Amino acid sequence: MSRLVTFKTGSLVAIAVSATLFTSTLAASAAPSASAVVATRQAGFKKMGGAMKALGAQLKSGAPVKAKMVAAAQTIATTARGQGKLFPAGSGPAPGLKTEALRNIWTDRATFDAQMAKLVTEADKLVAVSNTGNAAAIGAQMKATGAVCGGCHRKFRKET
Amino acid sequence: MASPRPSPGTTRGARVWDVPIRLFHWLLVALLGFSWWSGEQHLMDWHRLSGLTILALLLFRLYWGLVGSPTARFARFVRGPHAVLAYVRGQDATRAPGHNPLGGWSVVAMLVTLCAMVGAGLFAVDVDGLESGPLADYVSFDQGRLAAEIHGWVFNALLALVAVHVVAIVFYLVRGKNLTAQMITGRSQLPDPRPGAIDDHQAWLWKAVLGAAGAAAIAIAVARGFRF
Repeated sequence: MSRLVTFKTGSLVAIAVSATLFTSTLAASAAPSASAVVATRQAGFKKMGGAMKALGAQLKSGAPVKAKMVAAAQTIATTARGQGKLFPAGSGPAPGLKTEALRNIWTDRATFDAQMAKLVTEADKLVAVSNTGNAAAIGAQMKATGAVCGGCHRKFRKET
Repeated sequence: MASPRPSPGTTRGARVWDVPIRLFHWLLVALLGFSWWSGEQHLMDWHRLSGLTILALLLFRLYWGLVGSPTARFARFVRGPHAVLAYVRGQDATRAPGHNPLGGWSVVAMLVTLCAMVGAGLFAVDVDGLESGPLADYVSFDQGRLAAEIHGWVFNALLALVAVHVVAIVFYLVRGKNLTAQMITGRSQLPDPRPGAIDDHQAWLWKAVLGAAGAAAIAIAVARGFRF
């Protein structure tokens, strides 16, 4: 009798533990933690910043390599497509969450999303212009794309 | 200086700051203000130009600290701890015109901070990767971002030093010594026969022109990222 009770208690604990594990795993896959999504979007922005710098360096070098410029522009365009989705509710400034995102991203979401869409448009143009290899046109489109970055940053990112 | 205002009759007007030092000083004041403003306004073409001009000014000042008139020279105003302590205690017997032993270190601190400021700015990259200092191509995006952060921190240090500088000027003004007027006119009342005064003649001119040309050439080379 006492053995049976022990067995029952043991299996109940096991079931409870596995249920908890299962639920938390599910929760993690459905909604990644806020800090993870912040890290992902920051990495994305860094990647785009680095690509923009690489593109500018090609132009400044006086002997730009077209393949490198196209690759940099594509990095910007590809990354830009995902960035807008990396601002779920709850990933704004909060205690213990290191982000430069301002609260108005979530209160003025329409403007923010429009800026993100504009970034994709300009970045796509940048890819197209890079393919022509025309340095002056690439420089101009780089500025146009950068203006979207800067405009959005001034409105939605904490100035550091 | 802790000395009372010299009584008239025993003093004479004398040159204490040469023209290049005064030009350096006031151009630096104007360009520091302009650099701050253009940075705040995101006018980066102007900000770069202003910073590069400050670079040329600093290069000139370092050169002038070696070959300029006596009051401009590091060898004259960079003094050891003994001289600084003696000055602070009011025991400085020389009372030579120019930077006092304590003020000399304030000049060194400002020059070092300005060099750090310009140095970091040359490699700085903005968060968009769009705007950057002329030497940023030689570093990675992350390193450039770090340089930009350092550029910001050093600016705060610079503000603190400027505040100390202004407070010191007010301190001496209250005690009857108008350092600002001296930096404008280059002249001060010194006891006759004017020990430590600098010459009024124009011997500095060719050295200054040479130094300015050299400083400008280096600044232009830096502006082009050493690509010719």
